[in-house]
Amino acid sequence: MAATLTAGPARPRKLLASRRTRVGILYALPVVVYLLVLFVYPIFSTLLLSLKNADGSFTLHWYADALTGVNLSVLFTTLRISAETAVLSLVFGFLLAQAITRLKPMLAGLAMLVVVVPHFISALVRTYGWIILLGDKGLVNQAMVDLRVPGAPFQLLYNEIGVVIGTTSMMLPYTVLLLYGVMRGVDRRLLAAASSMGAGRVTIFRRIYLPLVAPGLASAGLLSFILSLGYYITPALMGGPKQTMIATLINQQVTKDNQWNGAAAQGVILLLLTLAGLLLVKLASSLGASRKKRSAS
Amino acid sequence: MIELRKTLTGRIVLTAIATVILLFLALPIVVIVVTSFSNNAFAQFPPQTWTLNWYKALFADGSKWPAALSLSALVAALSTVFSLIIGVTAATALTRSELPLRSAVYALVLGPLVIPQIVTALGLFLLFEPAAMLGSPLAIALGHTVLASPIAVLILIATLRGIDERLEDAAASMGAGRLTIARRITFPLAAPGMIAAAVFSFITSFDEFYISQFLSSVDTVTLPVQVYNSLTFEIDPSVTAVSAILIAFAILALGLVALVRWLGTGRQDPLLSVENTVGVATPGGEAV
Repeated sequence: MAATLTAGPARPRKLLASRRTRVGILYALPVVVYLLVLFVYPIFSTLLLSLKNADGSFTLHWYADALTGVNLSVLFTTLRISAETAVLSLVFGFLLAQAITRLKPMLAGLAMLVVVVPHFISALVRTYGWIILLGDKGLVNQAMVDLRVPGAPFQLLYNEIGVVIGTTSMMLPYTVLLLYGVMRGVDRRLLAAASSMGAGRVTIFRRIYLPLVAPGLASAGLLSFILSLGYYITPALMGGPKQTMIATLINQQVTKDNQWNGAAAQGVILLLLTLAGLLLVKLASSLGASRKKRSAS
Repeated sequence: MIELRKTLTGRIVLTAIATVILLFLALPIVVIVVTSFSNNAFAQFPPQTWTLNWYKALFADGSKWPAALSLSALVAALSTVFSLIIGVTAATALTRSELPLRSAVYALVLGPLVIPQIVTALGLFLLFEPAAMLGSPLAIALGHTVLASPIAVLILIATLRGIDERLEDAAASMGAGRLTIARRITFPLAAPGMIAAAVFSFITSFDEFYISQFLSSVDTVTLPVQVYNSLTFEIDPSVTAVSAILIAFAILALGLVALVRWLGTGRQDPLLSVENTVGVATPGGEAV
């Protein structure tokens, strides 16, 4: 549209442009006002609340509180479980996306369906499915007992194994979808060229393929890390007291202890961690874009 | 890696890995559906005898489920309407006009999708609590719209970008007014996108847990909050039936979006193709 406008004479163009601008502002108003009032302002007031004493004076004591003792160990647990989840969903996601790019179209479509459908089913419901599966008499333990796996049945629920299994299955669709897109974007001719110059399979994978998909891997891993940080449902239902994550703590402080300031400070810490992670994602994707450009030229 | 598929072992290994990971994704869902028809809800798998009792129990006297279901449906319907209004206007502004601070508006729209939902929920709690609006279906719907409307905006941006603007220009050059163009050209072409936006807004609200939990009161409990409560506090086997219904509902909704999208794109790819499935799953393109 811009191109057709610049072609016209100067005066009507200016008139038209200003009308288009006015229409734009008018149509953008609902979303901007809505999100400013119900999204930006509430987060801003959370920030304010986290910096206020009971009498309204400025304090950092809620942050000191959030970063000491039990609260600090909850923060570390959150980071640990999120990291474990990110690594596992990245590895599984890589393998599955890799397999899907190689399947026949019909099978690939079916496999992608199995990835996508769970993504749109409530996390609560899927967590419940895991609770049924991983119980003492659940399908997984039953199968291991039948196969005479030594030590079976195992305790797979209400500990970290359970939580990480649950969160990994929640993050897996994201990583598969992201990595599948990245893998489809790899120029196959580069691999063929390396092969024609005598490079072995391992060399091609390590020197050509991996560097090309590495930025995508980094953003997929970071994304599942960030998304796990604020996770509440699965750790709360599948974990024990040792798997309390920061979202659980925020929830407890609001609904049970009426400790809003403390909850607000923890919310802000979670927000800052997320923003830091997003910054890294941005970095990884700009790195990926520059690599792609270089490989294309 | 490239030649992996050419060797037989490579093929077998890859298929085996894919199957295990796919089972990992599918089993929790399959097990719920099967268990919801099982006579002893928790004890065994696969079940020995079958029953419809858990479904019947949902609608028995004194059951909390019908109220939770109708509240969730009401809230989801409200936030679908709000999200569509916001989505259509915002997508028009972002694709069909010269908007100052365009990237700032876009970043604002993406915000709720990347910020942890518990933080958004906490903020909304702090907003609605002093207003004494906890437990109000309207407050919950307004809260859900914060999460649902960005999804609607992204879907509709992708939809409007996919419509050739020259068609609208051509109609204008032949003397069609703006309303006529919107009604006769843009709207029919955007219909599949509108349906997708509506379905995804509805699902987002219907399944939302964090905001609902913070904004609900004792008498107003949405379906996901009721599911959570019955998993933590009271053992109620009919929760498997509810979960199975939620699964069926999600699959139907996705099927509807896939079908409409497939018809809308002129049936280029087969219905069950990777392209189609990925297109349904990432309706806003690569923005997220």
